[in-house]
Amino acid sequence: MGNLSLHNLTVGYGRRNIIQGFQLDVRDGELVSLLGPSGAGKTTILKVVAGLLPPTGGDILIDGRSVIGLAPEQRDAVMVFQKPLLFPFMNVEQNIAFGLRMQKRHPAEARQNVAEILSLTRLAGLEGRKVHALSGGQQQRVALARALVLKPSVLLLDEPLSNLDANLRQRMRDLIQTIQAETGMTMLFVTHDQSEALTISHRVALLLDGRLRQVGTPRELFHQPADPEVARFFGGKNFFQGRVQDELFIADFGQFLVGRQAGNGHLRTATVRPEDIIIAPRRKDSTAALTGRIVKVNFEGSATRIVVACAAGEFMVLTAQDRFTPGDEVELTLPPEKIRLFPLP
Amino acid sequence: MKACRYRLTGLAVVLAVGLPFVPLVLWALADRWFFPALWPQSFGLRAWTYITSTAGVQVLAAVGQSMAVAAITAVIAVAMAVPAGRALGLYEFKGKDLVSILLTLPVIVPPLCVAMGLHLWFIRLGLAETLGGVIGVHLTFSLPYAIFVLWGVFANYNPDFEDQARSLGASRFRVITRVMLPMILPGISVAALFAFLLSWSQYLSTLIIGGGRVMTLPVLLFALMGSGDRPVAAAVSLVFVTPALVALFFSARYLGARSLAGVR
Repeated sequence: MGNLSLHNLTVGYGRRNIIQGFQLDVRDGELVSLLGPSGAGKTTILKVVAGLLPPTGGDILIDGRSVIGLAPEQRDAVMVFQKPLLFPFMNVEQNIAFGLRMQKRHPAEARQNVAEILSLTRLAGLEGRKVHALSGGQQQRVALARALVLKPSVLLLDEPLSNLDANLRQRMRDLIQTIQAETGMTMLFVTHDQSEALTISHRVALLLDGRLRQVGTPRELFHQPADPEVARFFGGKNFFQGRVQDELFIADFGQFLVGRQAGNGHLRTATVRPEDIIIAPRRKDSTAALTGRIVKVNFEGSATRIVVACAAGEFMVLTAQDRFTPGDEVELTLPPEKIRLFPLP
Repeated sequence: MKACRYRLTGLAVVLAVGLPFVPLVLWALADRWFFPALWPQSFGLRAWTYITSTAGVQVLAAVGQSMAVAAITAVIAVAMAVPAGRALGLYEFKGKDLVSILLTLPVIVPPLCVAMGLHLWFIRLGLAETLGGVIGVHLTFSLPYAIFVLWGVFANYNPDFEDQARSLGASRFRVITRVMLPMILPGISVAALFAFLLSWSQYLSTLIIGGGRVMTLPVLLFALMGSGDRPVAAAVSLVFVTPALVALFFSARYLGARSLAGVR
C-alpha cells in the first residue's frame, strides 16, 4: 500500500515561507508529477516528505498514519536525488544493497532482491563495476535501483532525468513508466519539464510560486488550464480580451460562438494555443477577421513557429506547413471550440 | 621534448631530496673523517654498533616514546579536526573568520613563545614533564594543520550523500561510520600524516614541556649532536628520518589535490 496525503503543508526557511498550505493526495499505485519552474519549492516538498526537512505546519500521512516527527530512516518513503549520488567507495551491487544492509536483511535474501532489481533496471552484468566506470545513464539507473530494492510505500523522484541527454532521457522515462506499471509503486515525481510530466504521469500537480495551482490528468492541465498562468506554463500564448454576450465571445477583431458561459456581459481573458490557429496566405477578397504580416519564422523541424503582427496584437502560430517567410501577408482563423476563457483576475 | 622535461624535473627532485642524505649516510658509515679530506679516510660500523648496543636501550626507548607521542597526537588531532573541519567547510556561522584566525595563531606565533607560555600553565595544571603535557603541546601545532586539511576536504564535500543515505534507511550514527568516514578517508589519511610528522619532528616544545623527562628521538638526537660524535648523530638522524619516509611512502597515493578535494 502506498497512499500519500499532504495536508495543508507549510514549509519555511527562517521567517520566509516557501510552501504555503500545500494540499495533495497521491493514491496507491499512482504516479503523480509535481511540476513547476525551478525555485518553485518542488524539491523542498520531497525533502519534507522524506523527512530530511521539517515542515513548519501541516501534516503528512503515509497510508493514513502521520509521519511528522519520524526520522527519515523510519519513514517508508525513499528519495532519489537529481544527481545519482552513488557511494564512490562501493561497487554497483554494494550500492544497491546499501539500504537492505541498513535494514539488516539476511544476506541471501538481500542478494536475491538485488538480482531482481538488477534485471528490472537492465543493469545485470554490471554488479561488480566501480561506480566511476559507469555512464551517466547507468549511474542514474543504479540510483533508481538502490531505492526500488527497498520497495518503499512511496518513491520520491527529484528530477532524476535532468542530468541526462535527450535520448537517454527518453529511455529512462520509458523505464520508469515500465517499472511503475510492473511494480505498482506509488511515485511522486518532481520535474520542471512539462513534456516529461505530461508523458510520464497519471496526474500532474502544478506548483507556481510555492502554491499549488492545479491538479489533474495531463490532458486536463493541458486543455483546460485553471487560469492564464497555468496556460502560460504549458506554452499558452495569444491572450486577448473580450466580452461574453449570450453564446458569443466578442473580441475587438471578431465574434466567436463559444456556447453558454457564466457571467453574461462580463469581460474575459481568452487564449488559443498556437497549434490550434489555422494560418493561410491572405486572399485578395479576404473576409477573415484576423489578418496580418509575418514578422518572424522559426523552423523547429516537425513544426514551424510563426509570429504574426495583426491590428489586434501579435499572435503566435505553430503549423506543420513550412512555406511562409517573414513579410508574408496571412489570415488567421481561430476555431471557436479551441478558445479557452478565463475570468479577469 | 616533454619527456625530456619530465626527466629533468624528476632528476631535480631526486637530487634535491637525495643530496642531503649523501653526507648523512657517509658520516654514519665513517670511522675516521678528518679535515680537509673530501672523503672519509676509513669506513666502519662503529656508529651503528654504538646506537644498537651501548646506547641501544636509550635509542629504542626514544623511538618508542616518539612513536607513541606522534601516534596519539595524530589520533587526537584527527578526532578533533573532523568535526571542526566539517563545521568550517560545510556551515556558515557567526565568528567563522575569528575561528580561522585563532586556529592559525599557534602556527604564526614562534613555537618558542607558544611552548614557554604554555609551560607556565602546564606546571600549574601538573602537565609539565609528563607524556600528556608533551602530547598537549604537540597538538597546538598538529591540530591547526589537521583542521586546515579537513576544512578543505569538507569544503568540497557534498552533504547530499548523507541525506541520500538517511533516506535509504541509515541512522545518524551509521551515516557517519558508513558514509562520511569512508568518503573523507583520503583526507583523514593526509591530516593524520601531517599531524604525525609535525609531532615526530618537535624538538623545542618537547624539551621545554617535557623538561628532559620525556625523551623523544629529536631530544636524544640533539643530546648526541652536542656530544660531538658526528657518526653517531648521523646514524641517529637516519633512524629519525626513516619512519617519516615510510609514512610518506604509504600515504603517497592519498597525497595530491584529488584526495584533498574530497569526493563530489
